[in-house]
Amino acid sequence: MKMTRKEFLQTAAAVAGAIALPGTAASAPLAPQRGMDEGFPASERKGPKRGVSIYSYEHEFNVSATLEDCLIELSDLATPGTKIGLEVLANAHIKNYPNPSTAWIDDWYKMLDRYDIIPVEYGHWVDTKLYSETRTIDTKEGVEMLIADIKLASRLGFTRARTKVGMQGGASMMVQTPADNFFEIIKGALETAQKHNVRMLTEIHIPTPLKGPTMDKYMDFITKENTNPWFALNIDFSVFQTRMGPQLGDHQASAAGGQAPHAPPWMGKLPLAVPEDMISLIPYIHCCHAKFNDMTDDCEETTIPYPEVIKVLADHGYNGYMMSEYEGIDKLQGGAWSAVRKQHVMMKRLLGEA
Amino acid sequence: MLEMEAVQQRGFRNVYKNGECIGFQVAYRSTYYRGISLSLSKGFRVLVDGEQFPREAITIIYEGETYTQDELTKAGHVQWQLDEPVILNIAKPGGLKLGVHVVTVNWSHRISYIGTRPGDPEQTPAAELGGPGPTGSTLEFGGGNVTRKLVLVR
Repeated sequence: MKMTRKEFLQTAAAVAGAIALPGTAASAPLAPQRGMDEGFPASERKGPKRGVSIYSYEHEFNVSATLEDCLIELSDLATPGTKIGLEVLANAHIKNYPNPSTAWIDDWYKMLDRYDIIPVEYGHWVDTKLYSETRTIDTKEGVEMLIADIKLASRLGFTRARTKVGMQGGASMMVQTPADNFFEIIKGALETAQKHNVRMLTEIHIPTPLKGPTMDKYMDFITKENTNPWFALNIDFSVFQTRMGPQLGDHQASAAGGQAPHAPPWMGKLPLAVPEDMISLIPYIHCCHAKFNDMTDDCEETTIPYPEVIKVLADHGYNGYMMSEYEGIDKLQGGAWSAVRKQHVMMKRLLGEA
Repeated sequence: MLEMEAVQQRGFRNVYKNGECIGFQVAYRSTYYRGISLSLSKGFRVLVDGEQFPREAITIIYEGETYTQDELTKAGHVQWQLDEPVILNIAKPGGLKLGVHVVTVNWSHRISYIGTRPGDPEQTPAAELGGPGPTGSTLEFGGGNVTRKLVLVR
């Protein structure tokens, strides 16, 4: 493994920063860890773990809440003595992305320490439609974008990236398949991902079921090219959704006072998958999106079978994080703070933490 | 911190050059959930008190650089940060009168992870001002039409 001195120091600093516990000096730099279950502090519990994508607070961010406010909120969710997992969206939450200042990165590590947070997943995009609706960017440009993100994720201590590369549609919105050069772009970054200990995870999300042609394409590539864990899966729990949440439309359009485009094409076809569909995939799943849409005051979710989902993950050896992603309609009116708290009460109960 | 609405009250003002009023400015923040490259924009449209301004009359100032709408489509390496509004600079000799104005800004953008379908044009147009929002061809993402009453003081 060849690394420049600068890269080594960045990686070492990131890893050391990620696992430093309050009150302990990070002494000798640690080499990036390798293996299926690595990258988390030994103090963390085995099995499914809780985390939050601060995407959940999108309508508060920059309006009534700073990044630090979001992290303080997360520290309320951590069980004492352990850390709460964090997912950021790189181009939303990193100040001056893709070139944060060193002062910002220093603050970043101080905040992670102060608020009991472990950086887990770095959400990022290779925008293949950068210049045109129909022509994707060339492979070289895609690989460069991907590599830059992997290096930044690593500098910030993340061990997983939710890597979103462009998709192409069929005649129906129900069929979303990887863009022409999707796998070439991924191949071009595999070595960098391994070198920097960042797993590129493609997200399986509604309307893509866990069994079907799109999933077959991913699994063929993963097994033929032996990419696991450096390119593998993130399962978004929307695939298990049994019904739409209250008044669910297009939340982005609604957020801005625009109109929802139309009823989603998967309406009436739910659920697209059942939790048992994950069993054979567990070795390839290195992070999950704990998508949720509607929490009752009894702290139960009404659209996704969480007890069954978490039981399958726990019973079959899943050892990664579940990152809250709130998409309930009341997030437009400040509902995300309490919704995420309720979801973590639910998850603590289901995980036996409460 | 910014205002909740995409169209910002702060920054709404006339623009003067050599003592002459040549137009006005309004700041617009992206309310999309992530920052994107400026080139993903389909463009900005502006309507004030029923007057729609031609595409060519609108330039976009971002971090001190001024872009025409055509130049915006090529700015693939400029990230539009969520905490940094663009300033829309609208040419209008004489500018706007002091007081309250009803301002609509329309913005939308391409989205790479929702597949293009056969027959989609290379550059899908921005939504119509005051129109229903989606173009019907591809899902329309972005702010759509955002209308606010803004108060001009200078």
